[in-house]
Amino acid sequence: MDILGKSAVELLESLKKKEFSEKELFAYFHKRIERYNSKFNAFLTLAESTDENHEGPLGGIPFAMKDNFCTKGVRTTASSKVLEHFIPPYDSTVTIRMNQSGAVLQGKTNMDAWAHGSSTETSDFGPSKNPWNTDRAPGGSSGGSAAAISAYLSPIAIGSETAGSIRQPAAWCGVVGLKPTYGRVPRYGVVAMGSSLDCPGPMTITAEDAALVLEVIAGNDSYDATSSPVPVGSYRKEMKKKRKMTIGIADEYMENISDDVKKRVDEAIEIFKKQGHTIKKVKLISPKYAISVYTIIQRAEVSSNLARYDGIRYGNDRTHFGQEAKRRIMLGAYTLSYGYYDAFYKKAQQVRTLIIEDFKRVFNEVDVIVSPTTPVTALKLGEFEKYPFFGEVMDILNEGAAVSGIPAINIPCGLDSQKLPVGLQIMGNYFDESTILNLAYQFEKETNYFDVIKKGFERYKE
Amino acid sequence: MSSTHTKLSKSDILHLAKLANLSISDAEISKYESQLAETIDYVENMKELDTKGVAVTSQTTDLTNIFFDDGLVNNRALTSEEAVANSKTKQNGYFKVKKIM
Amino acid sequence: MKQQYPVIGLEIHVELKTDSKMFCQCSADYFGKKPNTHVCPVCLGMPGALPVPNRQAIEWAILIGKALGCTINKISKFDRKHYFYPDLPKGYQISQYDEPFCVNGAVAIKEKTFRIHRVHLEEDTGKLIHGENKTLVDFNRSSVPLVEIVTEPDFHNSDDVRAFLEELQVIIRYLNVSDADMEKGSMRLEPNISLILNHDGSPDPELPKYKVEVKNINSFRYVKDAIEYELKRQAEILETGELPPQETRGYNETKGITYSQRSKEDAHDYRYFPEPDIPPIVFTEKQLEQIFESLPELPGEKIIRYKTQYKLRPQDAFIITRNRTTADYFEHVVHEFEKHRPVSNHEVEDIPQKVANYIINKKIPVDVSAEEFVRQALELMAPKQTDTKLLDEMIAKVVGANPKAVEDYNKGKQNSIMFLMGQVMKEMKGKADAQTVKNELIKILSK
Ligand SMILES: [Mg+2]
Ligand SMILES: [Zn+2]
Repeated sequence: MDILGKSAVELLESLKKKEFSEKELFAYFHKRIERYNSKFNAFLTLAESTDENHEGPLGGIPFAMKDNFCTKGVRTTASSKVLEHFIPPYDSTVTIRMNQSGAVLQGKTNMDAWAHGSSTETSDFGPSKNPWNTDRAPGGSSGGSAAAISAYLSPIAIGSETAGSIRQPAAWCGVVGLKPTYGRVPRYGVVAMGSSLDCPGPMTITAEDAALVLEVIAGNDSYDATSSPVPVGSYRKEMKKKRKMTIGIADEYMENISDDVKKRVDEAIEIFKKQGHTIKKVKLISPKYAISVYTIIQRAEVSSNLARYDGIRYGNDRTHFGQEAKRRIMLGAYTLSYGYYDAFYKKAQQVRTLIIEDFKRVFNEVDVIVSPTTPVTALKLGEFEKYPFFGEVMDILNEGAAVSGIPAINIPCGLDSQKLPVGLQIMGNYFDESTILNLAYQFEKETNYFDVIKKGFERYKE
Repeated sequence: MSSTHTKLSKSDILHLAKLANLSISDAEISKYESQLAETIDYVENMKELDTKGVAVTSQTTDLTNIFFDDGLVNNRALTSEEAVANSKTKQNGYFKVKKIM
Repeated sequence: MKQQYPVIGLEIHVELKTDSKMFCQCSADYFGKKPNTHVCPVCLGMPGALPVPNRQAIEWAILIGKALGCTINKISKFDRKHYFYPDLPKGYQISQYDEPFCVNGAVAIKEKTFRIHRVHLEEDTGKLIHGENKTLVDFNRSSVPLVEIVTEPDFHNSDDVRAFLEELQVIIRYLNVSDADMEKGSMRLEPNISLILNHDGSPDPELPKYKVEVKNINSFRYVKDAIEYELKRQAEILETGELPPQETRGYNETKGITYSQRSKEDAHDYRYFPEPDIPPIVFTEKQLEQIFESLPELPGEKIIRYKTQYKLRPQDAFIITRNRTTADYFEHVVHEFEKHRPVSNHEVEDIPQKVANYIINKKIPVDVSAEEFVRQALELMAPKQTDTKLLDEMIAKVVGANPKAVEDYNKGKQNSIMFLMGQVMKEMKGKADAQTVKNELIKILSK
């Protein structure tokens, strides 16, 4: 069986041709998880396999799911001791849609506890490791999902973002990660972090797989009042149209990044030029303000969202929160407190408006904005705990899209001098996932991501 | 980084912990004093932007009036067994807590 | 002369009788149901669950505000109000903070007007059942829609408070949006009470620098009693020169006293912020007009109309409009009478008052059909069959026994005919038509 490295689209083709059965496919990945999971700590809980055959657009395709999506009957911890033994009595909307599409749940992946972090090190169940170098962090908070894709323990994974939690681990693990527009994919059943920011999204090895998964999980949900009624696009069809775009580049998103990252991103921009796209300089509000807006709003929403964990109806009591959660809860309480609200929360909401207007203005001039996804490539494990505010700074290039709610994708664009993946970020206008996927697809066809994805799993051939 | 230096006292931290219903150790108190202050100092940079008269954004969706119609069939009902299944302290279909005065 | 001047404001919670809860499709009909059987991930505050508001609850909250004379905000939103308590599953209550649905209303009762500060919508909590050494929690009530009505501190005695609350209950029941049943807890009262010890009589004195909130009161009488108790307690403290502490107190109905529950030191910092899970609510003038269409004629308006249209006595108009069903029935019966013409003009004018009398004095049961009511009423109104032979005898007897009255009558003292009539009716044991008796009497006396 020649399965290693096949995309979901290719696997569906093989299943159709009966090159192998669904059961064999599930067993193949299951074996890989058994073999490699102790190395990466990507999965926290494995689901039972099923015998039935699955119909639908993802019929028979195994998938990994971040452990903050409720899965009925399958333990869901958000990587926190508070929920160590929590078995949800219901499925998240994304879980239901994946199940209905015929995808088969392999298990739940590790993350930063409550999605608080950018390295998966705040997990109460131990950090995940970066398959490119197990001394390094996979990024986070969807680090387990990114590691699972990178080492091909899963062909597709579901992650979630509040700010960067899909794109940043995708960049560090060298895979494709798409953060859709806020409201494009329902949040119902996703353990809430920053309610006005949270976005579920796919992590995959090709742009087309990302489009395929998005088609499955996107769309209005009557259980999520913030989910959008905007019709879901035919992303796969749209992405293959030959388009020449105007690509915006902002100095503000090219500053304070490592030389290696800069080099790879500049090369990617050259490739876009070569493909006939127009590069246009644009001016954006410095992302350092997005950090502040994000920090205030997210901490406030965290302090509120984690208030329900009192150990009465489910889970352990509040003494089980880790350091990072406690810090965030208390800062959130501070900024919402009487006398501070206007200076912090209200101010952040106003700056948020400025950032949104800024993006809207620029998207009148360009189709997409391109930047690095992260200022540096994967850091060593242990770096983050030294500086509690480090995560926010590491996610500086992701937070603009997060606070404004626009979609953005990470695609690999080469390796740095330490042989670690470098990520390219493409940001798009509201609900214009088709355009960023189109450009990602063009880049993939042109470069095959410089074989980054292939090199990622080829070291785990067995 | 911003030049202001926020000072949080031990009683500030204890007050926040109380608001947040968290119990924290002495070691945590001194750690949080500086860590929270560091974050607060950083976000002070928002003051550099003029937001006079700028509307607040609490939602990026532009949606309004999302409701459901009363009496809609309930597809999410849980039995009392399901409701209390994850509770460590339950009794006859109730959740149980220490006596509240 | 300086005198005591109570300053009282009210907070009233009313549970709406929607089919579904406020933010999920669970049945809101929780009363007396088995514990935790009307629950789902949303009202249990499960990880990941999200609220979606019930349209009906919003429209009814607006209707209540409109009925209380409020301005309806075209733009409003929900906010999260944070505090920890085992009956509050999310650690916050979804409520409304700075943009409630309704503001600045007023309710007129007799000659007084009481201002309404605001009316907003929120969700109810679960229920705690306190045992020997444990407390049990049931979330069937969790997230049932709850309307909070806050008055201005416009009350200066407990009688006005009671009259207002009774009027409010009548209005809510008119709207048919809540049972407003205090025993079942679908109407809950919390007075805020303070006292100016030496008031100089000025109409708008400076408010006291403290207030005491009394909770857990479940009848109108207890509200009055609790207020009286508090005013006495506070006066005693004020007389020593101290200020009563700002606090929340409970009411013990068996002992008739209030007791301290929570002092100002642990007053809550609720850390309100806009509920990010629920988009704002924006109504156009037209949409609001549509909601107002279901606003019925309110008791106050009905009283005025009944007095003018039906010439009812004010007290009777008040009594007949206390209950919308009774008022509707009253009008139904009056209209039914239209079919029973011809009746003399005199009688037509009298009929509504007569119907009101029969209803108020329970002469005719109100659970019969309007036709049946009219039939029974006509029977009561019909001239009675009079035994004329007996009547002649009795008149002779009465006239003979009361020469003084007869003489007075003949001197032109019209009043004495009424006395004589009464005597004859007594002798007839009521079995005579009053008009016939009168006619016969006059005939005999003028002979
Ligand atoms: Mg309230
Ligand atoms: Zn429910």
